[in-house]
Amino acid sequence: MKKYVELYWAFFRASFIADMEFRANFLTRILTDIFWYVAQVGSFEVFYQFTPKIGDWGRAETRVFLGILFVVDAIYMVMFNENLDQLPEKVRRGQLDLLLAKPVNSQFMLSLQKANTAILGNFILGASWLVWALLQRPDFSWWRTLWLLVLIPCGVCIFYCVRFLFATTSVMFTKAENIQYLWYQIYRLGMRPDSIYVPWMRVLILSIVPVGIIASVPARFLLEAPNYPMLLWAIFLAGFALFLSSRFWLYALGKYSSASS
Amino acid sequence: MLIEFTLWFAIFRGVHQLSIGGYAREYYLSYVLWAAFVARITSSWMYEFKMIEEVDSGSINGLLVRPMTFYEYYLSQLLGYKLITSVLSLIFPITVAYLWHLPTDFSRLPLALLLVTYFLILVHTISYCVTGVAFFINKVHSLTVAKNLGLWLLSGELFPLDLLPPFWRHILLNLPFSSAVYVPVGFVTGRVGISDVLQGFYSVTLGIVFFALLGNLLWTKGMRDYTGTGA
Repeated sequence: MKKYVELYWAFFRASFIADMEFRANFLTRILTDIFWYVAQVGSFEVFYQFTPKIGDWGRAETRVFLGILFVVDAIYMVMFNENLDQLPEKVRRGQLDLLLAKPVNSQFMLSLQKANTAILGNFILGASWLVWALLQRPDFSWWRTLWLLVLIPCGVCIFYCVRFLFATTSVMFTKAENIQYLWYQIYRLGMRPDSIYVPWMRVLILSIVPVGIIASVPARFLLEAPNYPMLLWAIFLAGFALFLSSRFWLYALGKYSSASS
Repeated sequence: MLIEFTLWFAIFRGVHQLSIGGYAREYYLSYVLWAAFVARITSSWMYEFKMIEEVDSGSINGLLVRPMTFYEYYLSQLLGYKLITSVLSLIFPITVAYLWHLPTDFSRLPLALLLVTYFLILVHTISYCVTGVAFFINKVHSLTVAKNLGLWLLSGELFPLDLLPPFWRHILLNLPFSSAVYVPVGFVTGRVGISDVLQGFYSVTLGIVFFALLGNLLWTKGMRDYTGTGA
């Protein structure tokens, strides 16, 4: 475990140095995500001009939901996004072979080799938005934020695992761009509060395609009385998703035909 | 699109009214349907990445010696690709609008698509500017992402721009970017009239002129600094 922590720290430092070489790119990445935040917040602010509630939640609750979404998204983007986005390209160019030859867990290496340190600025922005949204609720008990210590890692884990399952298909099919597009559409389901969905879709996003765990469930623990079965379910799903992603990776590698040989 | 439909259903459940901003739920569903289709036409990811790659990798040398400019070469590729994919994918919104009886004025479709096609020239001209930046800065791909997200925000793909407060509505409707989605889709779904479409053509023309001048400036300076090597 210690070896992997040290290895990740080395990856992180190397990524930060590399990112700072391209400062314009570094700044544009931050700007890009600000556009994305403005789009998400702006949409709901416009909708709430016309309605007091969307699903179960009013404007204040949805702001908290968006804060959680921004934080989880930023953590995922810093740690995993660039690595998983580049997986199809690595398969095509034969770079995956080099990774497989390293004396470390190949899934770890593939998923965490490059950290996108430019997004750290977005993490700060997202966290600031969340704190501001919570400050707007005078009756909010700050002890509830302790739930996030469990639920945000669960959300990030599920986010990563579902994305990883989609990215891994490129190892088997080589050209799998449309499957990656499908991933983004599924992720978009989690970018809306779960209460807007009809019951069967709600069950779907909290179980089979658990993108509802990413932000909706943590937001509910901040805003409502704790639902302990849901907490256990989120922890179980995160662990199961990690197990499944590992098994699927090994299965996909069994089907892999090296591009460089 | 299914997600956006669900969202609008939830909004109308919460509002307890038959209309928002003077339009019933079906108008919003129709807007979402056509916005998803039109936005896919007016966004340019693949060709802009290719254009940047030509400059980054130096493969632009092969294009510079051809008897057409870089701008024309990629414009013809973009328009050709969009024409084929758009005609084929047009079947989907037409079928859904027809089967679900969503408010759509099919007689307005040709003019709306003409505006969309004209907007593509503006999109390509902006791509030309972004590619020009690649002469001076390495790794400008994030500019493409920022540009497309900016267009996504300003075009009206997220929601009809007439729902915005008056100040923001006035600004966004006068920018050429509203002609990417809001104006053509609003025209087809009955939210905007012919005068807004003509205003759209006018503002897109101004946008093309502005970005063409900027692009020429960047390319003139870029070509002066650029050194093409290789056999």
